[in-house]
Amino acid sequence: MASLADALPATRLTPRPRRPAVSPIAWLVGPALLLFVIFFVLPFAVMAVLSLLSGNPAQNPNVYLTSRHYVRFAGDDLYWDALWSTLRIGIVTTLASLLVGYPLAHWMARMKSRLGHALLLMAVIAPMLTGIVVRTFAWMTILQDKGVINTTLIGLGLIEKPLPLMYNEFGTVVALVHIYVPFMVLTLTGVIGRIDERLEQAARNLGASRLRAFAEVTLPLSLPGIFAGSLLVFALSISAYVTPFLMGGTNVLTLPMLIYQQVSSSFNLGFAGALGVILLAVSLLVVIAYNHVLARFSGPEGLT
Amino acid sequence: MSARSVDAGRLAYYALNGAIIAFLLAPIAIVAVFALNPTPYISFPPVGVTGRWFVKFFATDDFMVALWLSLRVAVVVLLLSMLIGGACALALARGRLPGARFLTAFFMSPLMLPAILTGLALFQVFQLAELDRPVWGLIVGHTLVAVPYVLRTTLAVLANFDTRVEEAAASLGASPMRVFVEVTLPLIRPGVIAGGIFAFIVSFDQFPISLFLVPPKGETLPVVLFNYMKFDLDGAIAAASMVSILLALSVVLLLERVIGLKAYVKL
Repeated sequence: MASLADALPATRLTPRPRRPAVSPIAWLVGPALLLFVIFFVLPFAVMAVLSLLSGNPAQNPNVYLTSRHYVRFAGDDLYWDALWSTLRIGIVTTLASLLVGYPLAHWMARMKSRLGHALLLMAVIAPMLTGIVVRTFAWMTILQDKGVINTTLIGLGLIEKPLPLMYNEFGTVVALVHIYVPFMVLTLTGVIGRIDERLEQAARNLGASRLRAFAEVTLPLSLPGIFAGSLLVFALSISAYVTPFLMGGTNVLTLPMLIYQQVSSSFNLGFAGALGVILLAVSLLVVIAYNHVLARFSGPEGLT
Repeated sequence: MSARSVDAGRLAYYALNGAIIAFLLAPIAIVAVFALNPTPYISFPPVGVTGRWFVKFFATDDFMVALWLSLRVAVVVLLLSMLIGGACALALARGRLPGARFLTAFFMSPLMLPAILTGLALFQVFQLAELDRPVWGLIVGHTLVAVPYVLRTTLAVLANFDTRVEEAAASLGASPMRVFVEVTLPLIRPGVIAGGIFAFIVSFDQFPISLFLVPPKGETLPVVLFNYMKFDLDGAIAAASMVSILLALSVVLLLERVIGLKAYVKL
């Protein structure tokens, strides 16, 4: 005990290794910083300011500070409903992406053959590199009343009237899952791939069934990937515009759709700004949580 | 556990994964079917094979003007994001910057913050500055979301190679400039190129930012396709989609040759 107590002050006195000086290479961050400050941070600040002004200061010198855009949002059920649909679509899309993405990520992470792995990776990345407009078009041709699924089912005599697969939240979610599940798969694959397979093997040797070994060993160890992937997919799907617009038709109204409506047909930059700030607030919470998950679980062998 | 139930479990596992792969790839295959099907509107099952939708796509001025604009913007975005993102990655990985971790998250944030808000915010700034949606504004918007891709691939390459290579060159008498030009640059080149290729695709397919920043008659291909789809769903859209998909696929193959897809997987 005495020796430990003696050692403590000594460790405190040891000088901490000095942080190496900033290298001249650091200046290379300049162009990116300039670009991001002028065209990213500043515009978002302008958006926040506009959301608190009564009009466009470039056209009307008599603008004043007002909270009326937020009051308008708070006082109308239409806007609360849009916010709630946005979040609901985001949550359902995230859960469905997790269910669809996990088995594939597991297979990919445990794939021994290099060729098999490369082929799977191609299958996951190819849709990612196909634009969202194109992929939404593909889902319209599949899910519409005269689409692939309904025509086939009617042709087989299984149904008489087409099923309502599109122009609702169901169609929106199906297309969104297709669009964002690759992000889930890639995040999960990285995490599952780093779980030692011998742990699961050990559980099985001790008598656990394959399913139980997975549920009690691999699944809990992959939780950081589940969190990170889910937050990523949620952040992406609450900001989707094309897919809810085309797949939801007039039955789905989300915040991004409202925002564009305010700019293109109502020319109300202030209210569009307020809606933007509200969506931004939700996204920032998600991004902070995502970075927290990454920071908590990353190290030399971590998530990033 | 009997051998038979193990096999059943395996079978279910592969069947499930097969279904998921089909879910991922079927939409792309179906677009190809509709691009070749001669009926005037999207109908299933296909009745034949025709090239008329590709002819219509390439013969329609609106599509071609938009295609050329998209390609030109994408090339400029590719070059800009390689320069800006590559330099930024070097600074973050080798500059010993205080707060490099925070800066990395900051530069990656356009990927997670809603792109539609980036578009809205830039649109509002251009409105206040009384600029009527210039093409350089569109390029700036695309570059913001493209830089993170170059940053990611270049940082992945930088993390994989040892600073000792550079230290060895320096200890053998190379000046810092020479180390940079002859050791560091060639080492990060595959990362920067791979990121640039992604930047090209990201710009070519970009929609939400473009929606706010393109003037009428100066729209990019995805915006023109979106406007067309609001009223009409015919084979021309499928043909246009196939052109985009083939472009993306050839890029993936190119990417696999240049660097391998692994670097990108490190999300």
